[in-house]
This record gives sequence, structure tokens and C-alpha cells, in this order.
Amino acid sequence: MISPLGDPVVFYVGELPVRQAVVATWGIMLLLVGGGVFCTSRLRLVPGRMQAALELIVTAVDEQIRETMRVEPGPYRAFIGTLFVFIFAANWSSLVPGVEPPTAHLETDAALALLVFLAVIWFGVRAGGVRGYLESFAFPNPVMIPLNFVETLTRTFSLLVRLFGNVMSGVFVVGIVLSLAGLLMPIPLMALELLTGAVQAYIFAVLAMVFIAGAVAQSHLETQGGKDSP
Amino acid sequence: MSLDWTTLGLQALNVLILVWLLARFFWRPVAGMIERRRAAAQALLDDARAKDEAARLALAQLSQARAGLGQEREAMLARARAQAEEDRAALLAQAAKDAEALRRAGQAAVEAERAAAARAWRERAGRLAVDIAARLAARLRGEAVQAAFLEFLLREIEALPAAARGAAALELVSAGEISAAARADIATRIAAVLGGAPEISFRTEPALIAGLELRGAHLRISNSWRADLDNILRDISHDG
Repeated sequence: MISPLGDPVVFYVGELPVRQAVVATWGIMLLLVGGGVFCTSRLRLVPGRMQAALELIVTAVDEQIRETMRVEPGPYRAFIGTLFVFIFAANWSSLVPGVEPPTAHLETDAALALLVFLAVIWFGVRAGGVRGYLESFAFPNPVMIPLNFVETLTRTFSLLVRLFGNVMSGVFVVGIVLSLAGLLMPIPLMALELLTGAVQAYIFAVLAMVFIAGAVAQSHLETQGGKDSP
Repeated sequence: MSLDWTTLGLQALNVLILVWLLARFFWRPVAGMIERRRAAAQALLDDARAKDEAARLALAQLSQARAGLGQEREAMLARARAQAEEDRAALLAQAAKDAEALRRAGQAAVEAERAAAARAWRERAGRLAVDIAARLAARLRGEAVQAAFLEFLLREIEALPAAARGAAALELVSAGEISAAARADIATRIAAVLGGAPEISFRTEPALIAGLELRGAHLRISNSWRADLDNILRDISHDG
């Protein structure tokens, strides 16, 4: 019996297996990048409807970053915005018949969580330097270093599990209902799944912002404290 | 359930590439366009602010210039008013002078008319008086009046110088017919006063009213009412 959690290999590149989630991700990337190139090739100072919609997305992401991280959105926009857009598109890719959302597979969610983990380190180091970032683990006192370190790992793991659990469970439920009740019955569940997908994309992006903002603020605070101390 | 690390790595790489691509082809261009629009709007606002400032400055200058114009206008009005006052005074003086001249001319004309009228009235009055006297005198024609005029004539002849009395032919003019006896008496008496024997002819001229006039080549004695009235009339006219 094939596991519902399994991800079949579509083809091999040499000995490297390319699975369905990767192919779907490539499709999503092609769609997003192609759409982005197409839309941004005709940007005007006086916007049309399409451009206004794109600018609304960018403005909304910027505002969300400002409100959540309390910083200017420039350095974080591309990462946070891409995370949200990709997860959103991946979750909603289940609308295409025969396509299973890449986020319903553990590897994709783990990759996303790993990138957030690395981004927290990257932005934290960039804000306060390596020393400042490492010193942030000793906040509020050195006794907290193990706990803060474990928290960094567990919150990354929680990101992975939250996204995977929600999307995978939705796919499972829709598949089970479809196998039991017939053609039209899963539609309400699919609609709910779309809502869940959008919410999960938003939650993932907001949590990534919160983690990065925490690291950045803490590193910055440590740097300032180090500079202020005699 | 197992984790495929190859797929995990590929997916991480995919998302990283997607982050880079979207940053290059989507986030940055759109954010740049928003920033450009914001900058353009800010430039427009700055430009509008600068134009507003310039307009305010121009308005202030205009107000200042208008105030200057008002002062200049007041000064011009004052000058014009003074000039008008001067012109008015000059015109009034000229009008007064002209009126005085007209008044004097009119007064002179009135005086002249009055004098002419007075003269005409005097002349008419004189004529009327002479007519009245002539009518009154005409009623006094008679023997006594003629005798008196004869006496006057003889007295006049006697008053003449001797050289003027030597006339050979004389004409005696009377207002009415004189009888032959009276003619002879008169001729005798005149000849006696003149001396010699002058030839005296008689003629009647009613215009004399009453009286006797003696006329010769070099002699004329006007002794009649007519001559007296003419003298009176001439004196009246000359008195005016």
C-alpha cells in the first residue's frame, strides 16, 4: 500500500530523485516569477488595475512588517513577502486537479522552517554582529542560554509541524471524504481548506517576522548595551 | 514516515531561488514604483508649496504696489483737484470780467438808447410844442398882430448897418393877403427906415403863420411866428 504521506518520484536527475512536491514547487515558482516579470514589465507612474493590485500586496506586506517588527520593511520585504506568497500559492495549488500542495509534504515545510531558522540567524548577525547575536541568547541572564537555544530550535520545529499538520490534514480529510461520499461532497471541505491555507500562510509569515524581529531587536539591544557599558 | 533530505535540500534551494527571483522581478520593482510615485507626489507637493509661496510673495508685492498706486492716485487726484480749483477760479474771474464788460456794454447801450430816446422824445415834444404854438399863433393872425410884426420889422431894419440897407429890390413875404392900402403904408414906412426908394414886391406864404419877412439879394429879416418857432425848436434840440 502506498502511504498517503509518500511523495512519489517523478524523475531522476542522475541519481538525484525529483519528487512531485519539487515539480509542483517549480510550477509555482514559474507561475510566480513569470507573473511578476509580466506585471512589473508594464509598471507606470499612474497605475492600472493590475498594478494597483500588485502595489496593494506590496503595501500590505510592508505595513505588516512595520506593525509586527517595528522596523522599515526594505531588508525583510523580499523574504517575508516571498514566504507568504509561496506558501499561499502552494496551499491553494490543490485547486488544480491532480496537484498535491507541496506544503502537504514534510520536506517542503521543513525547508521553509529551515530557511526561517537561517534567516533569524542571518538578520540577527546583520543587526548586532556575531557577538551581539550570540549574546542575545544570554538575555535576560546567562542561565537562560540553554533555554533560549532550545526555544530557537523548538519554535522552528513548531513552524514546521503547524504548517505540515494543517495542510496535510486538510488534504487527508478531503481525500477520505472524496473516497467515501462521492464527487461533490468534498467541496465545502475544499473551501475550508483554502481558508486554512490562506490563514496558515499568514501565520507562517507573521511568526517568521516575530522570530526575526526578536533576534534583530535583541541583537541590536545587546550591541547598544555593549557600546554603552564602560 | 521518513524525511527525504534530498527533497528538503532541493525545496530549500527552490525557495531561496524564488526569494531572489521575486526580490529582483517583483518586490523591488513594485516597491520602487511606489517610492517613485511617493517622490513624484512629494515633488509635486513641494512644487505646489513653492508656487504657493511665490504666489503669496507676488500677492504681497501686488498689494504693496496697489497701495503705492492708491497713494499715487490720491496725489494725482489732489493735483487734479488743485488744478481744477485754479481753472475754476480763472474761469470765474474771466467770466466775471466778461460779465462786467457785458454789463458795461449793456449799460452803455442802455444809456445810448436812453439818450437817443430822450433826444427823440425831446424832438417830438419840441415839434409837438411848436405845432401847439403854431396852432395857437395861427389864431392870433389879425391887424394888431400884423402891426406889431411891422413894428418889429422896422426895428430890425433900423438895427441893420447902413451898408446892408442899400438894397434896390426887396420882397415882403406875409402869411396872409394884405390889402392895397396896407401894402402902400407898409412900403412907405419901410422905405422911410431904409432910406432911398427901394422897389418892394409882396408875396403871401401861409407857412409863416403870422408876421412879415423882408428878403433881398443880400438881406433877409425873418420876422414871423414860423421863424421864431424854428429858432425855439432848434434851441430845444441843441439843448439835448
